[in-house]
Amino acid sequence: MRIEIENLHVAYAGRTVVSGAGLIAADGEITGLVGPNGSGKSTLLRTVYRHLKPVAGRVLLAGTDLRRLSPVEAARHVAALPQERGGDFELTVREVVAMGRTPYKRAFAGEDAADRDVVARALADVGMEGHTGRRFTELSGGERQRVLLARAFAQEPDVLVLDEPTNHLDIRHQVELLALLRAGRRTTLVSLHDLNAAASVCDRLHVLHDGHVVASGPPREVLRPALLAEVFGVRATVVDHPLTGDPLIAFDHRAPADGAGIPLSAPGDVLGAGPGRSLR
Amino acid sequence: MIDTLVRRKGTQDRRDGQEPARTRSVPAAPLALALTVALLAALTAAVSWGSTSVPAHEMWSVVWRRLSGEAPRPGTDDLIVWQLRLPRALLAALVGAGLGVVGTAMQALVRNPLADPYFLGISNGASLGAVAAIVLGLGTGGALGLGLSGAAFAGALATFALVWAVARRRGGFAPLRLVLAGVAIGQFLSGFTSYLVLQAGDEQQTHSVLFWLMGSLSGASWPLLAAPAVAVPVTLLWLQARARALNALIMGDETASGLGVDATRLRRELFTLTSLLTGVLVAVSGAIAFVALMVPHACRLVVGGDHRRLLPVSALFGALLLVVVDIVCRTAMDTQELPVGVVTSLIGAPALLYLLDRRLGSGS
Repeated sequence: MRIEIENLHVAYAGRTVVSGAGLIAADGEITGLVGPNGSGKSTLLRTVYRHLKPVAGRVLLAGTDLRRLSPVEAARHVAALPQERGGDFELTVREVVAMGRTPYKRAFAGEDAADRDVVARALADVGMEGHTGRRFTELSGGERQRVLLARAFAQEPDVLVLDEPTNHLDIRHQVELLALLRAGRRTTLVSLHDLNAAASVCDRLHVLHDGHVVASGPPREVLRPALLAEVFGVRATVVDHPLTGDPLIAFDHRAPADGAGIPLSAPGDVLGAGPGRSLR
Repeated sequence: MIDTLVRRKGTQDRRDGQEPARTRSVPAAPLALALTVALLAALTAAVSWGSTSVPAHEMWSVVWRRLSGEAPRPGTDDLIVWQLRLPRALLAALVGAGLGVVGTAMQALVRNPLADPYFLGISNGASLGAVAAIVLGLGTGGALGLGLSGAAFAGALATFALVWAVARRRGGFAPLRLVLAGVAIGQFLSGFTSYLVLQAGDEQQTHSVLFWLMGSLSGASWPLLAAPAVAVPVTLLWLQARARALNALIMGDETASGLGVDATRLRRELFTLTSLLTGVLVAVSGAIAFVALMVPHACRLVVGGDHRRLLPVSALFGALLLVVVDIVCRTAMDTQELPVGVVTSLIGAPALLYLLDRRLGSGS
């Protein structure tokens, strides 16, 4: 199912964080949301999974305004993987995943065979089926994210919304998690800090800057040096990844783009230039 | 494959020296049944044992006569069983169940497994109400009369309104803000209570105030049972109907939203309900320490954190615990009775230290 966001304005803690954002997450595609800290990525995503209410604008799910659905109906279509980690309440891996069935169950209803099936499949999809009885809080960061992803799968959603799912993961676990997203072929809306990960994994990217969408399109069209300098304030060049052919952004980690007297130079110059040269 | 094995081994190594990965092997239904049987046995013991012991069969025959509407056999057995010990044992069970339930709900409400309903100042308000009633002479004699309970409940309600007004922000209650408001207001009120205790006219008054503050079941009577007999089951049912939502809430408000649970509304309802139940419990038994903290915690270790199992098991275990503790309170010393709060503190404090140690030791 496709998500359309129209002219969305969202305030959070008394401040307008998203002002007039619009984007489309197409059916079956992975749509990436990138932008610097505070650009409004999390706030926009929270509005999609109905944690925040927009001041103006709409989020449409297959043409229907999400706010017109009940919370439970919306949760049957849209599943979220927020950044929060939860308290230590002795929940097991299986119990956390089974939570995904919440929007389908009435009060007092127990788990039926269909629920158990969905939960087992979700656990298997993320490769955690051998860990059902372990305490959620004693898992490693990568395992934890996979379990939370399984919980979202158990919700049997049409749309997955993930807020920085690779944060705090080591590179291998990042790759594993993103591979799981690609394998799903669900409509996915994901915010990512790592622009190279976004360039490899996402079908389309939307760049958020101060609450506005300033660029949209396939990663190769969006991630250009001029935009990276303007929005992220970094000097970078974009080359082809030698292994995958995806766009690969090579950053200049020595000085930001607006550093005094540093000219934006041709790709060949990037490594040689800058104040750090004498250290080599 | 090799990578997977290595990774698994790494996980195993991290856990070395600690308990192995646990699968929850204690199913809730048989455990609940066992707890129910134990509770009935404890209730029987509570009514039979004491300064004058009544054999179990005598006791049940008294109860049977009363329940079946036959005229009670005149004599001390009927007095001891029906008027003194049975209401007290039932009060212990109801208060214990209520504390187990309210503790579980409070811990989910503020998303802290070490929270306690007394965090939110409600019990301090109830205590102030009760102590004011005693010192100003509204209470009926030394016993916990209904007037005293009424004053305590009024104090609880007033405190609830105050904490609500202070903690509310943008229509909801952030857990930390709620706890800070509750603790601050609770301390403020307990300052008043201390002042009133100092103003108490005579030793008898001071004694009854202290006894009440420590938590006691000695005021039990049939009329006093009415409020908890309604409030405890109603609250338990309400919570049980929302057990899945509570599970979502402890993962976080955003997680809850994503699962179709309105966290703001649920927390508002939880705060209201736990405050009312805390008010009722403190009104009939004083502020009994540690039970509401320890019972859900202990039960979580056995049946896990899923509220669908945790709530009923906490209720049963809380009831069992308090009935047993009250037997100890009545029989430990020949000359006088111990306030039940003293014994729960003596058991609860070391148990809490053990749990904290275990929690910190597990590195989570």
